[in-house]
Amino acid sequence: MLVFTRKRDEAIVIGDGIEIRVIRIGRDSVRIGITAPKDVPVHRHEIYALICAANLSAAASHKASVESLAKRLRAVPIERAKPTP
Amino acid sequence: MTSILPLPPEPAGAAIVETRFGPLPGDPRQVVLMLDPLPGFESCRRYVLVSSADLDPFTCLQGLDEPRPSFLVIDPLVVEPTFQAVLPADGRRRLEADDDDPLLWLTLVRVEEGGQASVNLRAPVVVNARRMIGMQLISPDTTYSIEHPLGSA
Repeated sequence: MLVFTRKRDEAIVIGDGIEIRVIRIGRDSVRIGITAPKDVPVHRHEIYALICAANLSAAASHKASVESLAKRLRAVPIERAKPTP
Repeated sequence: MTSILPLPPEPAGAAIVETRFGPLPGDPRQVVLMLDPLPGFESCRRYVLVSSADLDPFTCLQGLDEPRPSFLVIDPLVVEPTFQAVLPADGRRRLEADDDDPLLWLTLVRVEEGGQASVNLRAPVVVNARRMIGMQLISPDTTYSIEHPLGSA
């Protein structure tokens, strides 16, 4: 990992067209501005990691259980959430 | 929000797509290009939707690039009729969808050994069927669960 120390309003440039700038420095957090081309996804790390884990899990679904589950769902309509009163 | 189900499988003799669930009827030329790869599968951009009577009500979202992930997907409205899809502000623009272009919403299903299943309602995949481009919506919004239970235990 490259580590930089930046003051408020200072920035870092990545590749062609990505810029990370320190907007504001607080006691417990830093406000960061990202400039990137529209086709470059930018996400909070913990959210990306959460979806990543969920996708990996989904792709590893237990094969043998799938067909019996599908059969069961076809036989009985999927339980719906109760409508709110 | 509109939601349309994939077309029924082709008659016997039509093209076959290899999936984790076996060879399934589907047209490998009907490729959906993900604008951003799905997290966890960064090298896979191209997918195809395949169905079979055995998988119904699920459909298989099959990755065509390595590692060729096979996802089970289902219409979120089938699982949660009150599901309200939220496209980000530039969503339609990125999907090159006109206001009246229907969007296909798919949620990824996770099936555990024993048949317990859940659906990721927080990060659905949305596809512009006309342009055959799609993306998984990733946002900090926690209105919906990543593991919304599916079916009775």
